[in-house]
Amino acid sequence: MKTLRHSMVRAIFLLALMASAFAVKVGDPAPGFTGVDSNGKQQSLSAYKGKFVVLEWHNQGCPYTKKHYESGNMQRLQKEWTAKGVVWLTVISSAPGTQGFVTPTQENEYLQKMNAMPTAVIMDPGGSLGHLYAAKTTPHMFVIDPSGTLIYNGAIDDHSTSDQSDIVNSKNYVSTALQEAMSGKPVTEAATRPYGCSVKYKD
Amino acid sequence: MFIWVSAGLWYFVACAIAAAGQKPSSPHARVEMLARQDAIVAGADLRLGVHFILEPGWHIYWINPGDSGQPPVLKWQLPAGFSAGEIEWPHPERMQATPQLADYGYHDAVLLPVTVHVPPSVAAGSSVQIGADAKWLVCREVCIPEHAQLHLTLPIATAAKENPQSARLFAKTEKLLPRPMPRGWKASAKSEKDQFVLLLQAGKPITKAEFFPLEPNQIDNPAPLKLLPSATGVKIMLKKSDLLVKPIQMLRGVLVLPGGAAYRIEAPVQ
Repeated sequence: MKTLRHSMVRAIFLLALMASAFAVKVGDPAPGFTGVDSNGKQQSLSAYKGKFVVLEWHNQGCPYTKKHYESGNMQRLQKEWTAKGVVWLTVISSAPGTQGFVTPTQENEYLQKMNAMPTAVIMDPGGSLGHLYAAKTTPHMFVIDPSGTLIYNGAIDDHSTSDQSDIVNSKNYVSTALQEAMSGKPVTEAATRPYGCSVKYKD
Repeated sequence: MFIWVSAGLWYFVACAIAAAGQKPSSPHARVEMLARQDAIVAGADLRLGVHFILEPGWHIYWINPGDSGQPPVLKWQLPAGFSAGEIEWPHPERMQATPQLADYGYHDAVLLPVTVHVPPSVAAGSSVQIGADAKWLVCREVCIPEHAQLHLTLPIATAAKENPQSARLFAKTEKLLPRPMPRGWKASAKSEKDQFVLLLQAGKPITKAEFFPLEPNQIDNPAPLKLLPSATGVKIMLKKSDLLVKPIQMLRGVLVLPGGAAYRIEAPVQ
């Protein structure tokens, strides 16, 4: 049963990969996916149609991820936006044996310790979801609108450093995109260079 | 004439506290400030550089780091009237660990030269201290932010000689700096659906070359370059980045030919 589900998930990923031809462009439909979260629950993008969805690529050992978690910046964003009905999916694509790879239990402990409040954390040790979105760095952020269109792809903010002290002077691209989209405006900066550590893919 | 500085201390202290029981890592880069000359001369440009000597397997980044990473940043502390130019970046190497991600940077060692302008008013006989706060990211499989406070003291004299200890390194580095295109060359680019076609007319065939984009978000970094040599140059097919959402006027980059000659390319895009 488990292998069957596994191969189904794989098949869905493969189909999505073929359909998207490895391109995730702002303005295009966000590629659909199904993954398993740190509580063993299935998470599908299609289940969140009608809502804004944020994808956050994560590696708890990366200095750039630490910048936003040890300062509490990421948790503030998660709390603020999920309170406004946004679905926040953290994704971990670190392969086993690489920096940032964690078991579901370790991830749940981390979430509790850090007071992190994503809607769910998708465990992607095989890297399929990461490759589907061409996630390059941790953090790398995506915003999908209620119609399923990708409206933001890029950095979390405009200070590509690992210094916590830069956060106060930064323009947060994710918040700006959500604010603009929620008030019916086009997203002014819809694609930026994501910054951080490379995603530690298996291949 | 130069001093060694070990670096990244605050970070390792922070790490050591965060991961109690783990030994703090040792720094992965030795960094020094060097001068090409042995003295400062009033009104004459001074060639300085920050020299990174990296632990084997580790790398730092070019001005456009590619898909991840961050270039080094220097904040100069100069005496009144002195001013420092921008870092002159030697051409990078391509660093590609997986088919999906590619970065641009340096292994082993690199000198990042800077020209410092010296005011005409400095008086010979005294000495001057130049400082720089250097921050860089050094990576292997993992990345570590490091920093160092660098100093260099130089005498002010009426004439300066090359410093024998550093002049060779500066001379070697100058060869790695991208130059303007040779006279008679022409660069232009065409925007097609998913790619830019960079056309270089050089009056001779170019059969091998590397291209490093200067701007992020224009070119898909990991995509292999496709070269179409002709009798008078080459066409280089560059896959567009997914992050490119607006048309661009100019494709800027550095072309590196076999043998290491590096040229700055500015190709108007049609």
